[in-house]
Amino acid sequence: MGTVAGAQQIIAGLKEAGIDLVSSVPDINMLQLINLLYEDPAITHVPVGREEEGIGVCAGAHLGGRKPAMLMQNGGLLNSCNGLTTTALQFGMPILLLIYYAGDIGDNAFHMVGLVTEPVLQGLGIKYVVLRDPAKVKQEIAGAVTLANSSKRPVALLLTRAVL
Amino acid sequence: MKRFECLQAIAPLVDQELFVTTAGGATAEWNALRPSDGNIQVKTLGLCSSIGLGLATALPKRKVFVFDGDGALWMNLGSLATIGLHRPKNLVHICWDNQQYESSGGEPTVATAGKIDFAGVARNAGIESAHTATTVDELKHAVQHALSHDGPHFIWARIEAGRAEAPPLKYDELENKYRFLRYVEETEGINILRVPMPASYQLK
Repeated sequence: MGTVAGAQQIIAGLKEAGIDLVSSVPDINMLQLINLLYEDPAITHVPVGREEEGIGVCAGAHLGGRKPAMLMQNGGLLNSCNGLTTTALQFGMPILLLIYYAGDIGDNAFHMVGLVTEPVLQGLGIKYVVLRDPAKVKQEIAGAVTLANSSKRPVALLLTRAVL
Repeated sequence: MKRFECLQAIAPLVDQELFVTTAGGATAEWNALRPSDGNIQVKTLGLCSSIGLGLATALPKRKVFVFDGDGALWMNLGSLATIGLHRPKNLVHICWDNQQYESSGGEPTVATAGKIDFAGVARNAGIESAHTATTVDELKHAVQHALSHDGPHFIWARIEAGRAEAPPLKYDELENKYRFLRYVEETEGINILRVPMPASYQLK
């Protein structure tokens, strides 16, 4: 489910980095984070039914001047590959991808999606960092947003349970 | 009715509205009739409705038009439920239904069998202002209604298949994006793209 402290730190990091719109599809490990998103007036929260929709929402939000992020499980990353490729990457759009890392070391389900997650990001040419240390969360969010803006590309943060 | 006749009827009704258009004939025809940096062509089949939702959410005081197709909307039918959930007042979503994948060679879509009611799907997903247009006049009235009332609006435009002669787009997706962003910056008075100063400027 994640912890309130972990979720608060991530939200604070997003705000400090200028993220003002988050589209999401839930995962049990991001429950606290999504609950906070529903409550936070400083971030526009746009829940969607399927992750590729969220990539579209983030792309449109960028075109309207917002700083978007997509929050999803790594299964949703797989659902999003065409939108990421032919919209986010082909048009050159800065979108922060916050991806729960199901199937990571210590996870007892979804080992296949865990296995393919990093190779898929590499194949898409999307830079990513695996977040394992709660002390580095804000710094890594800030760095990812800076790189997304300067490269005009999506940048991914893989969220493990240790930081949620 | 033909799509081009409908677009000819819409063009005089709009000014600084933003247009997110699905890849295909609708884009080329619209850009020929209404050349503007406020038009952006989508490359991902099905994603124009979601991109329109994001844009309409970001700019709630600006009317945002989405030109969808029956094949594209079939691919992302869930976006109607998402639009019905968030209810952006400024979104005008038009589905040009020619009952085929025109850009892919005319293969049948879900609409070909004549069973799906896209306006009914939209209405039952929470988009109360969902209308069907089978004549140019009906389409024009539906657009006039959408321009003068809060939405979200959905218009199911049942058109004949066939493309009008229209020149290819002048800009690729990168130039289209930059021009669109600069147009939004100028017309909204905001700054979206910033180029940072060299690090030496931070030294005092």
